[in-house]
Amino acid sequence: MIEVQNVSRRYGDFTAVDGISFDVNEGEIVGILGPNGAGKTTSIRMITGFLPPSSGRVTVYGKDLFAEPGAARRDIGYLPENVAIYPEMRVREYLEYRARLEGMKSSEAKPAIAEAIDRCLLSEVKDQIVGTLSKGYRQRVGLAAAIVHKPRVLVLDEPTVGLDPKQIIAIRELIRELGRNHTLLLSTHILPEVELLCRRVLIIDKGRIIAQGTPEDLRERWLGNALLRVALKGDGVGAAESLATLPGVASVQEAGLGHGEARFTVECERGADPREAVFRAAIANGWVLLGLRQDSGSLEDVFVRLTTQDNAHGDAVGGAVSPSDAAAADSHDAAAAASSDTEVVQ
Amino acid sequence: MNGLLATFERELRAYFFSPLAYAVLTFFLLVNGFVFWLIVRFLSDPRGQAGAPVEMFFGQTVFFWLVLLFIAPAITMRLLSEERRSGTIEVLMTSPVSEGQVVVGKFLAALTFYVFLWLPTLIYVGLIQHYSTVDWGPVASSFLGILGIGSVFVAAGVFASSVSRNQVVAASLAFAILILLFSFGLLENAVNTQWLKQGFAYLDLWSHMDDFSKGIVNTRRLVYCASLTVFFLFLSARALEANKWR
Repeated sequence: MIEVQNVSRRYGDFTAVDGISFDVNEGEIVGILGPNGAGKTTSIRMITGFLPPSSGRVTVYGKDLFAEPGAARRDIGYLPENVAIYPEMRVREYLEYRARLEGMKSSEAKPAIAEAIDRCLLSEVKDQIVGTLSKGYRQRVGLAAAIVHKPRVLVLDEPTVGLDPKQIIAIRELIRELGRNHTLLLSTHILPEVELLCRRVLIIDKGRIIAQGTPEDLRERWLGNALLRVALKGDGVGAAESLATLPGVASVQEAGLGHGEARFTVECERGADPREAVFRAAIANGWVLLGLRQDSGSLEDVFVRLTTQDNAHGDAVGGAVSPSDAAAADSHDAAAAASSDTEVVQ
Repeated sequence: MNGLLATFERELRAYFFSPLAYAVLTFFLLVNGFVFWLIVRFLSDPRGQAGAPVEMFFGQTVFFWLVLLFIAPAITMRLLSEERRSGTIEVLMTSPVSEGQVVVGKFLAALTFYVFLWLPTLIYVGLIQHYSTVDWGPVASSFLGILGIGSVFVAAGVFASSVSRNQVVAASLAFAILILLFSFGLLENAVNTQWLKQGFAYLDLWSHMDDFSKGIVNTRRLVYCASLTVFFLFLSARALEANKWR
């Protein structure tokens, strides 16, 4: 369990982290989210005791990181952002070294190393030299080293950065597995990762926590109403007007015409689900319904909205993400892709 | 203690896995072999002066110092600067190990490697023993002197390595510190004031080694080496701590 109390860190005149406070409770998986340079790594480094805070206090299971470093540090397993491992060592040697650094006797270290190798699926490469391993394997060695001394808390800084998609899936699977018996704090700028893994999210920007809650909370709070994506065969003349009169529909926008279909974005009223009404309207009007998809927006949209507030032109207050903002539009496509599994379930 | 041993072992192993160590070892043996050959040739010349080759080899020639001034920075430059450059320092400093343990562990590993470098010179002593007689007292005290001077040099190198994340900068800084330390002693002859002369004479490393190679073990000289070593190691630990605040 980690308690962060009003922690700040300044480098000269620059304030990297500005008075953040939060707790991570036993068994929780918490994600720290933020754009590059938001202060994620600095925060993580203060939580693991690598950097002393300029002001404020971090305690791990009630022990202050700088007053009782020995005891507090043993409870933390840490995977730093750039996973630096001595390239000339063999995987097993490195794990032995890390176990000894953490003060384990060789009798307890032996089974612990075997377990870490097993859990991180390293048995194939355990006798290889670290410098010859792929980045994905190195990341796993870093994770194995972080859990080898059986810490109660795991702190992972950007655990999937720089990996290929297959490796990312493997590492995420491993993190999810580790989350079952560790308290976990994870920093990332990859949003699907947080949605997939974390039950609670902190969004950091410019050194401050600007929002926190479950992914669902954040979506509801910052994104407003759900959207329906409707695609009709033909040019869809008059369809927008008809759709707008349906119960539960707040507004309709034409989202484009092409490839023989007309696309509409339907904003629903709060809590309403007008999908059935849209389907019946299609039958009544003789439209050929090519697509109907519910889209409640993703964390990515929340993130973009919150972290671009400064340069957004006052559209952050509105209901839907402004299509004028290129980044927002991009993220919306990603959101559409992400929500397609929801569609299957429903 | 655990952290110290873990660092020591890892570092010692790293020495024997790095190509630099073998380059240093080869250079060291070549130069020393050549110097020894020169000394033996010089002493075996009937027109020249008489002397004891072993004593001359250990510290009475300028070669001893020339080699040492290069060797110490070469074997210590990597120790802490590479940890900082590659980022492995982060794991080290977030484990329950103190800066002091890390510094001392690394220092001991470097000193062990340094002693390892000197071991083959025992062959020279054996060679002399084969053809002539060797006074083993001065040999023992020479090795004590080599260890003492070495620990000062290595500690200075560790310190230089703790303040830079660039190995070349660390080596240059170590070299500068050692040259400064070394030339303090030479200033003895440059001043006329009595107390200054005595002060510089106390710092004079050359006369240190001269004494040791003649079989004179002076505790004052040992204390001098020990205190300089501790001083540099203390500075290194502080420098590691100070890195966190930048």
